[in-house]
Amino acid sequence: MRRRPEVLTEVREAPEREKATRVLVEHHEVLRGLMRRLLATPRSQPGRRRALADELFDELRMHEVIEEEIFYPAMRDVTPGIAAAWSEHRQLSDQLAALVRADPRTGRFDRELGVMHDALESHAHLDEEREMFPEIERFADEDLLVELGDRLRDRLERLRSSRRTRMVLRLQRALLRRTAR
Amino acid sequence: MDAIEGEGRLDRPGHRLEQGLAFTENLLGVTRGRARGLLHGVWLGHPLHPLLTDVPIGSWTTALVLDLTGRRRAARTAVGVGLTGALAAAVTGLHDWQHTHDNARRVGLVHGTLNALALGLYGWSWWQRGRGRHLRGRLAALLGYPVIMVSGYLGGALTYNHRIGVDQTDRRLEPRRFTRVLAERDLADGRPHRALAGGVEVVLVRSDGRVHALEDACPHLGGPLSQGWLRDGSITCPWHGSAFELHSGESLNGPAVTPAPCFQTRVRDGWVEVRRAPRVVTAPPGSTLVHQQEVRP
Repeated sequence: MRRRPEVLTEVREAPEREKATRVLVEHHEVLRGLMRRLLATPRSQPGRRRALADELFDELRMHEVIEEEIFYPAMRDVTPGIAAAWSEHRQLSDQLAALVRADPRTGRFDRELGVMHDALESHAHLDEEREMFPEIERFADEDLLVELGDRLRDRLERLRSSRRTRMVLRLQRALLRRTAR
Repeated sequence: MDAIEGEGRLDRPGHRLEQGLAFTENLLGVTRGRARGLLHGVWLGHPLHPLLTDVPIGSWTTALVLDLTGRRRAARTAVGVGLTGALAAAVTGLHDWQHTHDNARRVGLVHGTLNALALGLYGWSWWQRGRGRHLRGRLAALLGYPVIMVSGYLGGALTYNHRIGVDQTDRRLEPRRFTRVLAERDLADGRPHRALAGGVEVVLVRSDGRVHALEDACPHLGGPLSQGWLRDGSITCPWHGSAFELHSGESLNGPAVTPAPCFQTRVRDGWVEVRRAPRVVTAPPGSTLVHQQEVRP
């Protein structure tokens, strides 16, 4: 009998169903955690910096995918802020590209990381958590939000374990790095 | 027109296209490079795209006339010039389109698709004419011409109805006198702060020991600059990434092609006060108005 491979990251089983906004805020926290670890890693550990930047790249892109495929289309008639949120995703993607293209041993990486932090907070905190989500929780149907929450969590899990998604993201990172000047 | 604007099914292909475009621009280094502002038309003071669209429309109209008068070689040259202009217009048009919202985005997608169709027809026409098949060439041009007219109409709607590429800032001159907006101690260093000045929302920034004030709504699509980030004496709009110089409001990279309106600031009795800085001083010297318009720190 084959033994199951040892699990490196402990995935906590969610005890109960949660609203979509709650699921997204929890994922914001995951992204913030990565950001904090990146900011705390000094220039003298370029390998770790690079690995963390890769992880942030993947995780943030998956966050964008679940929001854009499931959450935003369902909320289009609830809040007028969806188009702007979509644009903010574009800013995050552009900044992620700038971050992975920067050499982790240089000051440029620090600068791009600083902008990445500000851009992420602007989107996650100033826009979504402070303005859009409260509005959605007030006006959207609660059952719908819970159902969306399940779908978001499910999709995120599937993306994380999808070999194809991982490969596409890795290819994107490699191409961006290869063409960096 | 309403049918296009309300068609939500256009959103998915639209976003797919934008993501492909974003990745290409990031690979080529356009996003953080000089080409970005160049293609948007920051150097020009208004979008570059509408200028370039005149080349294919004009050339292909010329080709139509030349076809009617039987000047075959000249007609082929005119079609070729139009093709070059159309390619340039496509690049700048896509570059502008990616930073639009909702209805305008859908109209822009149809506008671009029709243009691609016309470009294909005229490209085929040029090729057939080169092989001596002038009848086919003329037929393709005849088919392409109405397509480009309809598409031109949609392009006009993007500017005149949806105000894409139009300076969206407040046209009023308020506040004309120095107005209290915020207690000085509430203004943190290096963080943008939103405040109301005579009915106008402004963003205040303290940097290098000076207080700067710009209009809060981005001139591109009205994004809140106060939610943006500060770097090297500039503030970046969180929606589409336009960066503006703090001391002058000048746009540095686009998609905003016009400056963010700037305010004069001073600190009196612990209060930050702002007043609209006119872009051009028009009043004759010595008049009451020039007294209001002059800069007094």
